[in-house]
Amino acid sequence: MTTVRLPSPRGAFRVWQRNATIFRKYWKTIMLPNLFEPLLYLTALGLGLGAFIREGGVNGLTYTQYIAPGLLASNAMFAASFESTFNTFIRLKIGRIYDAIVSTPVNAEDVVAGEYLWAGTRAALYGTAFLGVLTFLGFALSPEALLVSSPWALLIPPVLLVVGVMFSVMGTLFTSLIESIDLYSYYFTLVVTPLFLFSGIFFPIEDFPSPVPEIAWFTPLYHAVNICRSLAIGPSPGVLLDVAWVLVFTGVLALLPIQLMRRRLIS
Amino acid sequence: MNTETEQRAGPQTRESTLVARGLEKSYANFEAVKGVNFEVYRGECFGFLGPNGAGKTTTMKMIYGAAVPTGGELRVTGLDVRHHEREVKRRIGVVPQENNLDEDLKVKENLLVFGRYFDLPRKVVRRRAEELLEFVQLSERGDAQVEHLSGGMKRRLLIARALINDPDLVVLDEPTTGLDPQARHLVWDKLRELTSQDKTLVLTTHYMDEAAQLCDRLCIMEGGRFISEGAPRALINEHVSPEVVEFRADPDTLEKLAPLIEDLSDGTDRVGEALLVHTSDSEAVTRRIKGAGVTVEHTLHRQATLEDVFLKLTGRSLVD
Repeated sequence: MTTVRLPSPRGAFRVWQRNATIFRKYWKTIMLPNLFEPLLYLTALGLGLGAFIREGGVNGLTYTQYIAPGLLASNAMFAASFESTFNTFIRLKIGRIYDAIVSTPVNAEDVVAGEYLWAGTRAALYGTAFLGVLTFLGFALSPEALLVSSPWALLIPPVLLVVGVMFSVMGTLFTSLIESIDLYSYYFTLVVTPLFLFSGIFFPIEDFPSPVPEIAWFTPLYHAVNICRSLAIGPSPGVLLDVAWVLVFTGVLALLPIQLMRRRLIS
Repeated sequence: MNTETEQRAGPQTRESTLVARGLEKSYANFEAVKGVNFEVYRGECFGFLGPNGAGKTTTMKMIYGAAVPTGGELRVTGLDVRHHEREVKRRIGVVPQENNLDEDLKVKENLLVFGRYFDLPRKVVRRRAEELLEFVQLSERGDAQVEHLSGGMKRRLLIARALINDPDLVVLDEPTTGLDPQARHLVWDKLRELTSQDKTLVLTTHYMDEAAQLCDRLCIMEGGRFISEGAPRALINEHVSPEVVEFRADPDTLEKLAPLIEDLSDGTDRVGEALLVHTSDSEAVTRRIKGAGVTVEHTLHRQATLEDVFLKLTGRSLVD
């Protein structure tokens, strides 16, 4: 089939709703570790490593202030990546959940779109909890250098939803290509981890010699980190370019996993 | 004569739920279905029989949209499956070969969530879920985890799930494979109840007794084609003699038996240690053998069954 199939919003919503029904049963247990994660990073890196960073911090921010918003973005990446890799693979190949769904008026393309939205929702939920912790910690520990200081930060949850959809598209693309769940080690080691380390969360990537900053510009997490950092401390107009990058990249790539997954579900 | 008039009246008076004309499905290097024609009427149970790889499951998949036909025509309640994908799926229920219940959801939740995929109002789904759990005798297990159900219960839940949208057509791929006899009989009872409610059923099976019990008509497929089609009794009459006598003895004795009864039999089959004699007069066959003074360990007469038809048409060698 060469025709491009567009998902129906109604069908996508039904798939989203199925995941939400299950999430609602266990959300407290699922979300709890997520609250510890920012604490671990901020303690080890912000306070531990940050103590060695010279007076003046990074770009006028304390080291903890610098890394905190970036961790919001990477947290969304991890949430959406797990959802669109292991969880999606299990529904596809092990539970055969999608086979059952596509025998109803919900089509394969709706399933994939619903999963994108669900991964985005999950990323936004995790990110909101994380953002709450950061805001609270800022007030509690260093009122003179708040971790989240701008009212623009209220836009972070919707941004994380979009960032979650973006990483869900990437994860689903990988899922649509593999036959064995063991192959995710490639995705996490060669895609997710390098993005986590080299997207300007822990150090300004712009200070590296060319072509490192140019390469970073072509990667998705870099822009998500820029957006979150801007919104946490007050944005500059340049952030619109990052937003545009994320939207274009997501929009262009989103149709590909839809077609590939359809081919796996419908012969 | 009676059947003839019925058949002639059939197409005009009965509504067809499912029509295939020259239906084909080919994959990159393999033709699974090579142009089949069939018509299934409302309230009828139609069976697809055939060895593994005959094209039965592929035909089922084309009906419920998991495979797209590459040639010919397939209509469900008058709608072409290629152009009315969602609408066709809205009108059918599917019981797949392998369990694909949602194990993250409890028994009743499986039905409630499934009903949402059909956009049914919540009240309707709740009511139907109760009724269907009752129907498949799982009312007490509504809050159980799916993984704690037995194989037979899971199959019943799959049947209930396939009915949540009150479908016109129910497609069942090997509905009783792997079930114990009690569970099979219960499933059969439920399927008969469905046809009595005017639902159309299409099923595949490897069990000839199941086909004979449930199907009004059936077809035997091999290599992607229909090799025979008709009512179970008619197929037996058409293809095999009405009776079978099975003799068990050592191979040398069996060798001697065959020529003795040649004129009384319509054909013989050697299956392991047994000789199967197809005949219209089993009495005469056994009398002849006794009279000849040949000793056999064991003799059995029986009516010819669909299994004899199946084996005659598709051969006895193993198909993978």
